[in-house]
Amino acid sequence: MRLENGIAIKASQLSQSFRRADGQLVDALSSVNFEVLKGQFVCLIGPSGCGKTTLLQIIAGLLLPSSGILEVGNQVVTRPSPERGMVFQKDSVFPWMRVINNVEYGLACRGVGSGERRAIAEHYLERVGLAHVARAWPRELSGGMLKRVAVATVFANGASVLLLDEPFGALDYVTKRHLHNVLLTLWAETGRNKPRTVLFVTHDVDEALILADRILVFHTGRIVDDLALVAPRPRTTDTLLMPQMVQNKHLLLAHLGLETKQAGTGATSSIVRAAND
Amino acid sequence: MTEVRAFFRRHGVSIIVLGVMAAIWQILSLLYTTEAVPGEPMIPGWQVVFTRTLISLSDYWQGGLGVPSVAEGAPPSYTAALLAIVSNSLDTMVRLYLGLLIGGLVGTFLGLAVSWSKWSRRTVELPLQFIRTLPLLAMVPLFQLWFGIYFAGKVAFVAYGVGVIFFAGVVNAVKNVPQVYIDNARTQGANRVQLYLTIILPSIFPELRATILLSLGTAWGAVLGAEYLGAQSGLGYIIVYSEAFAYLDRMFVVALLFVFYASISYAIFNRLSLKLLQWMPRVGRVIVVG
Repeated sequence: MRLENGIAIKASQLSQSFRRADGQLVDALSSVNFEVLKGQFVCLIGPSGCGKTTLLQIIAGLLLPSSGILEVGNQVVTRPSPERGMVFQKDSVFPWMRVINNVEYGLACRGVGSGERRAIAEHYLERVGLAHVARAWPRELSGGMLKRVAVATVFANGASVLLLDEPFGALDYVTKRHLHNVLLTLWAETGRNKPRTVLFVTHDVDEALILADRILVFHTGRIVDDLALVAPRPRTTDTLLMPQMVQNKHLLLAHLGLETKQAGTGATSSIVRAAND
Repeated sequence: MTEVRAFFRRHGVSIIVLGVMAAIWQILSLLYTTEAVPGEPMIPGWQVVFTRTLISLSDYWQGGLGVPSVAEGAPPSYTAALLAIVSNSLDTMVRLYLGLLIGGLVGTFLGLAVSWSKWSRRTVELPLQFIRTLPLLAMVPLFQLWFGIYFAGKVAFVAYGVGVIFFAGVVNAVKNVPQVYIDNARTQGANRVQLYLTIILPSIFPELRATILLSLGTAWGAVLGAEYLGAQSGLGYIIVYSEAFAYLDRMFVVALLFVFYASISYAIFNRLSLKLLQWMPRVGRVIVVG
Protein backbone atom coordinates (compact mmCIF):
# COMPACT_ATOMS: atom_id res chain seq x y z
CA MET A 1 0.00 0.00 0.00
CA ARG A 2 1.58 3.24 -1.11
CA LEU A 3 0.70 6.54 0.44
CA GLU A 4 -0.67 9.20 -1.82
CA ASN A 5 1.75 11.94 -2.63
CA GLY A 6 1.84 14.68 -0.06
CA ILE A 7 1.03 12.53 2.94
CA ALA A 8 3.85 12.20 5.46
CA ILE A 9 2.28 10.08 8.19
CA LYS A 10 -0.65 7.75 8.08
CA ALA A 11 -2.06 5.83 11.03
CA SER A 12 -4.63 3.10 10.34
CA GLN A 13 -6.56 1.48 13.19
CA LEU A 14 -3.61 2.07 15.48
CA SER A 15 -4.00 0.53 18.93
CA GLN A 16 -1.66 0.05 21.84
CA SER A 17 -2.40 -1.56 25.15
CA PHE A 18 -0.22 -2.05 28.21
CA ARG A 19 -0.52 -4.40 31.09
CA ARG A 20 -0.24 -2.37 34.26
CA ALA A 21 1.65 -3.62 37.28
CA ASP A 22 -1.66 -4.64 38.89
CA GLY A 23 -2.34 -6.86 35.87
CA GLN A 24 -5.06 -4.74 34.32
CA LEU A 25 -4.95 -4.11 30.59
CA VAL A 26 -4.94 -0.41 29.72
CA ASP A 27 -5.59 0.98 26.26
CA ALA A 28 -3.18 3.82 25.56
CA LEU A 29 -4.44 4.12 21.98
CA SER A 30 -7.62 2.63 20.59
CA SER A 31 -8.12 2.42 16.84
CA VAL A 32 -6.60 5.76 15.96
CA ASN A 33 -6.81 6.90 12.33
CA PHE A 34 -5.27 10.05 10.90
CA GLU A 35 -3.15 11.41 8.11
CA VAL A 36 -0.64 14.23 8.31
CA LEU A 37 0.40 16.17 5.23
CA LYS A 38 4.03 16.78 4.39
CA GLY A 39 5.32 19.97 5.94
CA GLN A 40 2.38 20.29 8.31
CA PHE A 41 2.91 21.48 11.87
CA VAL A 42 0.55 19.39 14.00
CA CYS A 43 0.04 19.78 17.72
CA LEU A 44 -1.28 16.88 19.76
CA ILE A 45 -3.11 18.08 22.82
CA GLY A 46 -4.95 16.28 25.58
CA PRO A 47 -4.87 15.51 29.26
CA SER A 48 -2.09 13.43 30.84
CA GLY A 49 -2.22 9.75 30.06
CA CYS A 50 -4.32 10.11 26.92
CA GLY A 51 -1.83 8.32 24.68
CA LYS A 52 0.03 11.22 23.08
CA THR A 53 3.49 10.07 24.12
CA THR A 54 2.67 6.48 23.16
CA LEU A 55 1.72 7.65 19.69
CA LEU A 56 4.98 9.57 19.33
CA GLN A 57 6.98 6.54 20.43
CA ILE A 58 5.23 4.40 17.84
CA ILE A 59 5.96 6.92 15.11
CA ALA A 60 9.58 7.10 16.26
CA GLY A 61 9.79 3.31 15.99
CA LEU A 62 10.66 2.89 19.65
CA LEU A 63 7.45 0.99 20.33
CA LEU A 64 5.57 -1.45 18.13
CA PRO A 65 1.79 -0.99 18.09
CA SER A 66 -0.36 -3.79 19.49
CA SER A 67 -2.36 -3.64 16.28
CA GLY A 68 -2.85 -1.36 13.30
CA ILE A 69 -0.39 0.11 10.85
CA LEU A 70 1.69 3.23 10.97
CA GLU A 71 3.31 4.46 7.81
CA VAL A 72 5.82 7.27 7.37
CA GLY A 73 6.71 8.17 3.82
CA ASN A 74 5.95 4.98 2.01
CA GLN A 75 7.08 2.59 4.68
CA VAL A 76 5.54 0.82 7.62
CA VAL A 77 7.46 1.85 10.72
CA THR A 78 9.09 -1.04 12.57
CA ARG A 79 12.23 0.49 14.01
CA PRO A 80 13.81 3.91 14.70
CA SER A 81 15.31 5.81 11.82
CA PRO A 82 17.19 9.11 11.60
CA GLU A 83 14.46 10.16 9.17
CA ARG A 84 12.26 10.57 12.24
CA GLY A 85 13.96 12.82 14.79
CA MET A 86 12.71 13.15 18.33
CA VAL A 87 12.99 15.74 21.06
CA PHE A 88 12.19 14.02 24.34
CA GLN A 89 10.25 15.27 27.30
CA LYS A 90 13.10 14.37 29.66
CA ASP A 91 16.58 15.75 29.23
CA SER A 92 18.11 13.59 26.55
CA VAL A 93 21.34 15.47 25.89
CA PHE A 94 24.22 13.08 26.61
CA PRO A 95 26.04 14.56 29.61
CA TRP A 96 29.33 12.82 28.79
CA MET A 97 29.69 14.58 25.44
CA ARG A 98 30.42 18.23 24.90
CA VAL A 99 27.58 20.25 23.37
CA ILE A 100 29.02 20.19 19.84
CA ASN A 101 29.58 16.41 20.00
CA ASN A 102 25.97 15.98 21.05
CA VAL A 103 24.73 17.92 18.05
CA GLU A 104 26.87 15.94 15.61
CA TYR A 105 26.26 12.57 17.29
CA GLY A 106 23.70 11.24 14.81
CA LEU A 107 25.80 12.36 11.86
CA ALA A 108 28.83 10.61 13.35
CA CYS A 109 26.82 7.41 13.84
CA ARG A 110 25.93 7.46 10.18
CA GLY A 111 29.52 7.97 9.09
CA VAL A 112 29.36 11.61 7.97
CA GLY A 113 32.93 12.96 7.72
CA SER A 114 34.22 14.92 10.68
CA GLY A 115 34.64 18.20 8.80
CA GLU A 116 31.21 18.11 7.27
CA ARG A 117 29.38 17.13 10.44
CA ARG A 118 31.24 19.74 12.46
CA ALA A 119 30.12 22.39 9.99
CA ILE A 120 26.50 21.23 10.15
CA ALA A 121 26.55 21.09 13.95
CA GLU A 122 28.10 24.53 14.21
CA HIS A 123 25.50 25.93 11.82
CA TYR A 124 22.56 24.70 13.90
CA LEU A 125 24.15 25.65 17.21
CA GLU A 126 24.52 29.12 15.77
CA ARG A 127 20.87 29.11 14.71
CA VAL A 128 19.65 28.24 18.21
CA GLY A 129 21.99 30.86 19.66
CA LEU A 130 24.41 28.50 21.39
CA ALA A 131 27.55 28.91 19.30
CA HIS A 132 29.34 30.28 22.35
CA VAL A 133 28.88 27.10 24.40
CA ALA A 134 29.82 24.58 21.70
CA ARG A 135 32.74 23.29 23.77
CA ALA A 136 30.90 23.32 27.11
CA TRP A 137 29.70 20.29 29.04
CA PRO A 138 25.90 19.90 29.25
CA ARG A 139 26.11 20.22 33.06
CA GLU A 140 27.15 23.84 32.55
CA LEU A 141 23.94 24.67 30.66
CA SER A 142 20.51 25.71 31.91
CA GLY A 143 17.36 23.70 31.20
CA GLY A 144 16.34 26.00 28.36
CA MET A 145 19.78 25.78 26.78
CA LEU A 146 19.66 21.99 26.93
CA LYS A 147 16.35 22.05 25.05
CA ARG A 148 17.95 24.27 22.44
CA VAL A 149 20.76 21.72 22.09
CA ALA A 150 18.12 19.04 21.55
CA VAL A 151 16.40 21.17 18.91
CA ALA A 152 19.72 21.87 17.15
CA THR A 153 20.50 18.13 17.20
CA VAL A 154 17.21 17.11 15.67
CA PHE A 155 17.62 19.64 12.85
CA ALA A 156 21.28 18.74 12.30
CA ASN A 157 20.20 15.15 11.73
CA GLY A 158 18.10 16.35 8.81
CA ALA A 159 15.02 14.35 9.69
CA SER A 160 11.92 14.91 7.57
CA VAL A 161 9.59 14.10 10.46
CA LEU A 162 10.17 15.83 13.79
CA LEU A 163 8.54 14.41 16.89
CA LEU A 164 8.55 16.72 19.87
CA ASP A 165 7.22 15.36 23.16
CA GLU A 166 6.31 18.26 25.42
CA PRO A 167 9.77 19.63 24.72
CA PHE A 168 9.31 22.95 26.44
CA GLY A 169 6.92 21.84 29.18
CA ALA A 170 9.19 22.54 32.11
CA LEU A 171 10.50 25.88 30.92
CA ASP A 172 9.61 29.38 32.02
CA TYR A 173 7.38 31.56 29.85
CA VAL A 174 10.10 33.74 28.34
CA THR A 175 12.38 30.85 27.42
CA LYS A 176 9.44 28.97 25.98
CA ARG A 177 8.46 31.88 23.72
CA HIS A 178 12.04 32.23 22.50
CA LEU A 179 12.20 28.56 21.68
CA HIS A 180 8.90 28.74 19.79
CA ASN A 181 10.44 31.38 17.54
CA VAL A 182 13.60 29.33 17.05
CA LEU A 183 11.62 26.22 16.20
CA LEU A 184 9.24 27.99 13.82
CA THR A 185 12.08 29.75 12.03
CA LEU A 186 14.02 26.52 11.47
CA TRP A 187 10.87 24.69 10.43
CA ALA A 188 9.86 27.39 7.94
CA GLU A 189 13.24 27.89 6.33
CA THR A 190 13.95 24.25 5.60
CA GLY A 191 10.36 23.76 4.58
CA ARG A 192 10.86 25.16 1.06
CA ASN A 193 13.19 22.57 -0.39
CA LYS A 194 12.59 19.68 1.98
CA PRO A 195 9.37 19.96 3.92
CA ARG A 196 9.66 18.97 7.55
CA THR A 197 6.58 17.56 9.17
CA VAL A 198 6.25 18.31 12.86
CA LEU A 199 4.26 16.49 15.52
CA PHE A 200 4.35 18.48 18.71
CA VAL A 201 2.84 17.11 21.93
CA THR A 202 1.76 19.70 24.46
CA HIS A 203 -0.58 20.41 27.37
CA ASP A 204 -0.44 24.10 26.74
CA VAL A 205 -3.36 25.49 24.74
CA ASP A 206 -1.65 28.79 23.92
CA GLU A 207 1.46 26.97 22.77
CA ALA A 208 -0.62 24.86 20.40
CA LEU A 209 -2.43 27.93 19.04
CA ILE A 210 0.83 29.77 18.39
CA LEU A 211 2.55 26.85 16.68
CA ALA A 212 0.13 24.62 14.88
CA ASP A 213 -1.37 24.37 11.41
CA ARG A 214 -3.60 21.75 12.88
CA ILE A 215 -4.48 20.50 16.33
CA LEU A 216 -5.40 16.91 17.11
CA VAL A 217 -7.20 16.57 20.43
CA PHE A 218 -6.70 13.29 22.27
CA HIS A 219 -8.77 11.83 25.03
CA THR A 220 -8.38 8.36 26.56
CA GLY A 221 -6.55 6.98 23.56
CA ARG A 222 -8.81 8.41 20.88
CA ILE A 223 -8.78 11.47 18.65
CA VAL A 224 -11.82 13.46 19.73
CA ASP A 225 -11.30 16.58 17.62
CA ASP A 226 -9.25 17.78 14.69
CA LEU A 227 -8.94 21.54 14.21
CA ALA A 228 -7.28 23.42 11.36
CA LEU A 229 -5.83 26.80 12.29
CA VAL A 230 -5.81 29.15 9.36
CA ALA A 231 -4.49 32.20 11.21
CA PRO A 232 -1.53 33.78 9.37
CA ARG A 233 2.07 33.49 10.55
CA PRO A 234 4.03 34.84 12.28
CA ARG A 235 1.48 34.69 15.05
CA THR A 236 1.61 37.33 17.73
CA THR A 237 -0.27 38.16 20.87
CA ASP A 238 -2.78 39.94 18.64
CA THR A 239 -3.25 36.80 16.57
CA LEU A 240 -4.31 34.96 19.68
CA LEU A 241 -6.96 37.64 20.26
CA MET A 242 -8.60 37.13 16.88
CA PRO A 243 -12.21 35.95 17.44
CA GLN A 244 -11.59 32.72 15.61
CA MET A 245 -8.55 31.94 17.78
CA VAL A 246 -10.41 32.79 20.96
CA GLN A 247 -13.16 30.40 19.95
CA ASN A 248 -10.60 27.71 19.26
CA LYS A 249 -9.13 28.32 22.68
CA HIS A 250 -12.52 27.95 24.34
CA LEU A 251 -13.09 24.72 22.48
CA LEU A 252 -9.69 23.31 23.46
CA LEU A 253 -10.20 24.30 27.08
CA ALA A 254 -13.55 22.56 27.00
CA HIS A 255 -11.90 19.43 25.64
CA LEU A 256 -9.41 19.55 28.48
CA GLY A 257 -12.29 19.80 30.94
CA LEU A 258 -11.45 23.33 32.00
CA GLU A 259 -14.60 24.93 30.55
CA THR A 260 -18.04 23.59 29.83
CA LYS A 261 -19.01 23.34 26.19
CA GLN A 262 -20.95 26.42 25.12
CA ALA A 263 -23.69 24.74 23.18
CA GLY A 264 -25.76 27.02 20.98
CA THR A 265 -23.57 30.09 21.40
CA GLY A 266 -22.01 29.49 18.03
CA ALA A 267 -18.61 28.98 19.58
CA THR A 268 -17.90 25.96 17.50
CA SER A 269 -19.62 27.00 14.32
CA SER A 270 -16.80 29.13 12.97
CA ILE A 271 -14.16 26.56 13.62
CA VAL A 272 -12.73 25.17 10.44
CA ARG A 273 -12.94 21.44 10.73
CA ALA A 274 -10.22 19.54 8.95
CA ALA A 275 -11.49 16.17 9.99
CA ASN A 276 -13.57 13.92 7.87
CA ASP A 277 -16.46 16.34 7.29
CA MET B 1 56.25 28.04 51.02
CA THR B 2 52.57 28.86 50.61
CA GLU B 3 52.14 25.51 48.87
CA VAL B 4 53.62 23.70 51.83
CA ARG B 5 51.34 25.66 54.15
CA ALA B 6 48.33 24.85 51.97
CA PHE B 7 49.27 21.19 51.97
CA PHE B 8 49.41 21.11 55.76
CA ARG B 9 46.17 23.03 56.08
CA ARG B 10 44.46 20.39 53.95
CA HIS B 11 46.17 17.27 55.21
CA GLY B 12 47.69 18.31 58.55
CA VAL B 13 45.05 16.64 60.70
CA SER B 14 45.20 13.42 58.69
CA ILE B 15 48.99 13.32 59.02
CA ILE B 16 48.78 13.86 62.77
CA VAL B 17 46.27 11.00 63.07
CA LEU B 18 48.62 8.70 61.12
CA GLY B 19 51.48 9.76 63.41
CA VAL B 20 49.38 8.98 66.47
CA MET B 21 48.58 5.53 65.06
CA ALA B 22 52.30 4.85 64.57
CA ALA B 23 52.98 6.05 68.13
CA ILE B 24 50.26 3.79 69.56
CA TRP B 25 51.89 0.87 67.76
CA GLN B 26 55.21 1.75 69.37
CA ILE B 27 53.61 2.09 72.83
CA LEU B 28 51.86 -1.26 72.42
CA SER B 29 55.16 -2.89 71.48
CA LEU B 30 56.65 -1.58 74.74
CA LEU B 31 53.67 -2.59 76.91
CA TYR B 32 53.09 -5.98 75.35
CA THR B 33 56.50 -7.62 75.11
CA THR B 34 55.42 -11.23 74.69
CA GLU B 35 57.46 -13.09 72.08
CA ALA B 36 56.08 -15.64 69.65
CA VAL B 37 59.35 -17.54 69.78
CA PRO B 38 62.44 -16.28 71.58
CA GLY B 39 63.67 -13.10 69.86
CA GLU B 40 60.47 -12.59 67.82
CA PRO B 41 58.13 -10.07 69.50
CA MET B 42 54.39 -10.36 68.85
CA ILE B 43 54.30 -6.60 68.27
CA PRO B 44 57.53 -5.50 66.60
CA GLY B 45 58.35 -1.87 67.41
CA TRP B 46 59.61 0.51 64.77
CA GLN B 47 63.23 0.17 65.94
CA VAL B 48 63.03 -3.55 65.05
CA VAL B 49 61.20 -3.00 61.77
CA PHE B 50 63.65 -0.48 60.37
CA THR B 51 66.81 -2.34 61.35
CA ARG B 52 66.73 -6.09 61.75
CA THR B 53 63.57 -6.75 59.78
CA LEU B 54 64.49 -4.76 56.69
CA ILE B 55 67.87 -6.38 56.29
CA SER B 56 66.46 -9.83 57.02
CA LEU B 57 64.33 -9.52 53.89
CA SER B 58 67.50 -10.30 51.92
CA ASP B 59 66.60 -13.94 52.67
CA TYR B 60 64.07 -13.63 49.83
CA TRP B 61 66.54 -12.46 47.20
CA GLN B 62 67.18 -15.37 44.94
CA GLY B 63 70.42 -14.09 43.46
CA GLY B 64 71.38 -12.47 40.17
CA LEU B 65 72.27 -8.92 39.00
CA GLY B 66 75.68 -9.43 40.62
CA VAL B 67 74.14 -9.53 44.08
CA PRO B 68 74.56 -13.02 45.55
CA SER B 69 71.71 -14.51 47.60
CA VAL B 70 71.87 -15.50 51.26
CA ALA B 71 71.23 -19.08 50.20
CA GLU B 72 74.51 -18.94 48.24
CA GLY B 73 76.30 -18.03 51.46
CA ALA B 74 76.43 -14.24 51.10
CA PRO B 75 75.81 -12.16 54.24
CA PRO B 76 72.47 -10.26 54.41
CA SER B 77 72.73 -6.78 52.90
CA TYR B 78 70.42 -3.83 52.32
CA THR B 79 71.00 -4.17 48.57
CA ALA B 80 69.79 -7.74 48.59
CA ALA B 81 66.88 -6.75 50.87
CA LEU B 82 65.85 -3.95 48.52
CA LEU B 83 66.10 -6.25 45.50
CA ALA B 84 64.06 -8.83 47.39
CA ILE B 85 61.29 -6.31 48.05
CA VAL B 86 61.28 -5.00 44.48
CA SER B 87 61.39 -8.39 42.76
CA ASN B 88 58.79 -10.04 44.99
CA SER B 89 56.51 -7.00 44.75
CA LEU B 90 56.85 -7.02 40.96
CA ASP B 91 55.98 -10.71 40.80
CA THR B 92 52.86 -10.16 42.85
CA MET B 93 51.84 -7.05 40.95
CA VAL B 94 52.24 -8.58 37.52
CA ARG B 95 49.97 -11.43 38.61
CA LEU B 96 47.58 -8.93 40.17
CA TYR B 97 47.25 -6.45 37.32
CA LEU B 98 47.24 -9.04 34.55
CA GLY B 99 44.47 -10.88 36.39
CA LEU B 100 42.65 -7.60 36.99
CA LEU B 101 42.87 -6.69 33.31
CA ILE B 102 41.69 -10.07 32.05
CA GLY B 103 38.99 -10.39 34.71
CA GLY B 104 37.82 -6.83 34.14
CA LEU B 105 37.55 -7.26 30.39
CA VAL B 106 35.87 -10.66 30.50
CA GLY B 107 33.53 -9.65 33.35
CA THR B 108 32.54 -6.44 31.57
CA PHE B 109 32.02 -8.24 28.30
CA LEU B 110 29.80 -10.89 29.89
CA GLY B 111 27.96 -8.25 31.90
CA LEU B 112 27.18 -6.33 28.73
CA ALA B 113 26.11 -9.56 27.01
CA VAL B 114 23.21 -9.80 29.47
CA SER B 115 21.62 -6.74 27.88
CA TRP B 116 22.75 -7.40 24.29
CA SER B 117 19.90 -9.70 23.23
CA LYS B 118 17.38 -12.15 24.60
CA TRP B 119 19.58 -15.07 23.60
CA SER B 120 22.80 -13.73 25.01
CA ARG B 121 21.00 -13.01 28.27
CA ARG B 122 19.64 -16.52 28.50
CA THR B 123 23.07 -17.95 27.76
CA VAL B 124 25.04 -15.85 30.19
CA GLU B 125 22.95 -14.59 33.08
CA LEU B 126 21.89 -17.65 35.05
CA PRO B 127 25.17 -19.60 34.76
CA LEU B 128 27.16 -16.57 35.88
CA GLN B 129 24.85 -15.73 38.75
CA PHE B 130 25.39 -19.33 39.80
CA ILE B 131 29.18 -19.22 39.48
CA ARG B 132 29.21 -15.92 41.34
CA THR B 133 27.98 -17.58 44.52
CA LEU B 134 31.05 -19.82 44.85
CA PRO B 135 33.23 -18.58 47.71
CA LEU B 136 36.42 -17.19 46.22
CA LEU B 137 39.09 -18.47 48.58
CA ALA B 138 37.59 -21.95 48.68
CA MET B 139 38.37 -22.12 44.97
CA VAL B 140 42.14 -21.68 45.39
CA PRO B 141 42.99 -25.41 45.46
CA LEU B 142 40.81 -26.10 42.44
CA PHE B 143 42.48 -23.37 40.43
CA GLN B 144 45.90 -24.69 41.39
CA LEU B 145 45.00 -28.14 40.20
CA TRP B 146 43.48 -26.82 37.00
CA PHE B 147 45.96 -24.11 36.05
CA GLY B 148 49.07 -25.14 37.99
CA ILE B 149 50.84 -23.48 40.88
CA TYR B 150 52.80 -21.18 38.59
CA PHE B 151 51.99 -17.96 36.85
CA ALA B 152 48.86 -18.98 34.92
CA GLY B 153 47.12 -20.40 37.97
CA LYS B 154 47.46 -17.21 39.97
CA VAL B 155 46.50 -14.94 37.10
CA ALA B 156 43.46 -17.09 36.36
CA PHE B 157 42.44 -17.01 40.00
CA VAL B 158 42.66 -13.22 40.24
CA ALA B 159 40.82 -12.88 36.92
CA TYR B 160 38.06 -15.12 38.24
CA GLY B 161 37.73 -13.20 41.51
CA VAL B 162 37.65 -9.85 39.70
CA GLY B 163 35.56 -11.05 36.78
CA VAL B 164 32.55 -12.02 38.86
CA ILE B 165 32.58 -8.64 40.60
CA PHE B 166 32.76 -6.83 37.26
CA PHE B 167 29.99 -9.00 35.88
CA ALA B 168 27.63 -8.17 38.74
CA GLY B 169 28.62 -4.49 38.69
CA VAL B 170 28.11 -4.11 34.96
CA VAL B 171 24.76 -5.94 34.92
CA ASN B 172 23.52 -3.66 37.67
CA ALA B 173 24.91 -0.47 36.15
CA VAL B 174 23.41 -1.18 32.73
CA LYS B 175 19.99 -1.53 34.35
CA ASN B 176 20.35 2.04 35.61
CA VAL B 177 21.14 3.62 32.25
CA PRO B 178 18.29 6.09 31.63
CA GLN B 179 16.11 4.80 28.81
CA VAL B 180 15.92 8.27 27.28
CA TYR B 181 19.63 8.17 26.32
CA ILE B 182 19.21 4.82 24.58
CA ASP B 183 16.04 6.00 22.80
CA ASN B 184 17.71 9.23 21.79
CA ALA B 185 20.72 7.43 20.29
CA ARG B 186 18.50 4.94 18.46
CA THR B 187 16.36 7.65 16.87
CA GLN B 188 19.57 9.27 15.66
CA GLY B 189 20.62 6.13 13.84
CA ALA B 190 23.06 4.49 16.27
CA ASN B 191 23.49 0.76 15.68
CA ARG B 192 23.91 -1.67 18.55
CA VAL B 193 27.69 -1.59 18.68
CA GLN B 194 27.65 2.21 18.59
CA LEU B 195 25.02 2.17 21.32
CA TYR B 196 27.32 0.18 23.59
CA LEU B 197 30.45 2.15 22.83
CA THR B 198 29.02 5.67 22.90
CA ILE B 199 26.06 5.44 25.29
CA ILE B 200 26.14 2.45 27.60
CA LEU B 201 29.84 2.33 28.46
CA PRO B 202 30.19 6.05 29.27
CA SER B 203 26.96 6.17 31.23
CA ILE B 204 27.76 3.11 33.37
CA PHE B 205 31.30 4.26 34.16
CA PRO B 206 30.41 6.44 37.16
CA GLU B 207 28.63 3.53 38.80
CA LEU B 208 31.39 1.16 37.74
CA ARG B 209 33.91 3.21 39.66
CA ALA B 210 32.74 1.60 42.89
CA THR B 211 33.01 -1.82 41.25
CA ILE B 212 36.56 -1.13 40.12
CA LEU B 213 37.62 0.03 43.59
CA LEU B 214 35.99 -3.05 45.11
CA SER B 215 37.71 -5.30 42.60
CA LEU B 216 41.11 -3.73 43.38
CA GLY B 217 40.68 -4.88 46.98
CA THR B 218 39.48 -8.31 45.91
CA ALA B 219 42.37 -8.64 43.48
CA TRP B 220 44.87 -8.09 46.31
CA GLY B 221 43.09 -10.66 48.41
CA ALA B 222 42.95 -13.14 45.55
CA VAL B 223 46.58 -12.84 44.51
CA LEU B 224 47.79 -13.29 48.09
CA GLY B 225 45.39 -16.17 48.63
CA ALA B 226 46.83 -17.84 45.56
CA GLU B 227 50.37 -17.17 46.72
CA TYR B 228 49.76 -18.59 50.20
CA LEU B 229 49.11 -21.96 48.69
CA GLY B 230 52.15 -22.69 46.69
CA ALA B 231 54.33 -19.98 45.21
CA GLN B 232 58.06 -19.58 44.95
CA SER B 233 58.02 -15.80 44.99
CA GLY B 234 55.79 -12.85 45.72
CA LEU B 235 54.60 -11.01 48.79
CA GLY B 236 52.22 -13.83 49.74
CA TYR B 237 55.14 -16.25 49.62
CA ILE B 238 57.10 -14.05 52.05
CA ILE B 239 54.16 -14.08 54.45
CA VAL B 240 53.79 -17.87 54.36
CA TYR B 241 57.54 -18.34 54.78
CA SER B 242 57.59 -15.87 57.69
CA GLU B 243 54.68 -17.54 59.39
CA ALA B 244 56.54 -20.85 59.39
CA PHE B 245 59.29 -19.24 61.50
CA ALA B 246 57.03 -16.88 63.45
CA TYR B 247 58.74 -13.83 61.88
CA LEU B 248 55.96 -11.45 62.84
CA ASP B 249 58.06 -8.41 62.03
CA ARG B 250 58.49 -9.51 58.40
CA MET B 251 54.77 -10.09 58.06
CA PHE B 252 54.21 -6.62 59.44
CA VAL B 253 56.55 -5.10 56.83
CA VAL B 254 54.76 -6.90 54.03
CA ALA B 255 51.46 -5.57 55.40
CA LEU B 256 52.91 -2.05 55.28
CA LEU B 257 53.95 -2.66 51.69
CA PHE B 258 50.35 -3.63 50.87
CA VAL B 259 49.09 -0.40 52.35
CA PHE B 260 51.67 1.53 50.35
CA TYR B 261 50.93 -0.16 47.02
CA ALA B 262 47.18 -0.11 47.48
CA SER B 263 47.26 3.60 48.34
CA ILE B 264 49.22 4.35 45.19
CA SER B 265 46.90 2.36 42.96
CA TYR B 266 43.82 3.98 44.53
CA ALA B 267 45.33 7.43 44.05
CA ILE B 268 46.21 6.76 40.40
CA PHE B 269 42.77 5.33 39.72
CA ASN B 270 41.09 8.28 41.39
CA ARG B 271 43.00 10.82 39.33
CA LEU B 272 42.35 8.93 36.12
CA SER B 273 38.65 8.47 36.76
CA LEU B 274 38.15 12.09 37.78
CA LYS B 275 39.70 13.07 34.48
CA LEU B 276 37.37 10.71 32.63
CA LEU B 277 34.39 11.95 34.63
CA GLN B 278 34.91 15.67 34.23
CA TRP B 279 31.52 15.79 32.51
CA MET B 280 29.74 14.83 35.71
CA PRO B 281 27.84 17.50 37.61
CA ARG B 282 29.23 16.66 41.03
CA VAL B 283 32.57 15.16 40.15
CA GLY B 284 35.06 14.98 43.00
CA ARG B 285 32.46 16.16 45.48
CA VAL B 286 33.34 15.84 49.14
CA ILE B 287 30.34 15.50 51.42
CA VAL B 288 30.59 16.95 54.88
CA VAL B 289 27.41 16.89 56.93
CA GLY B 290 27.57 19.50 59.64
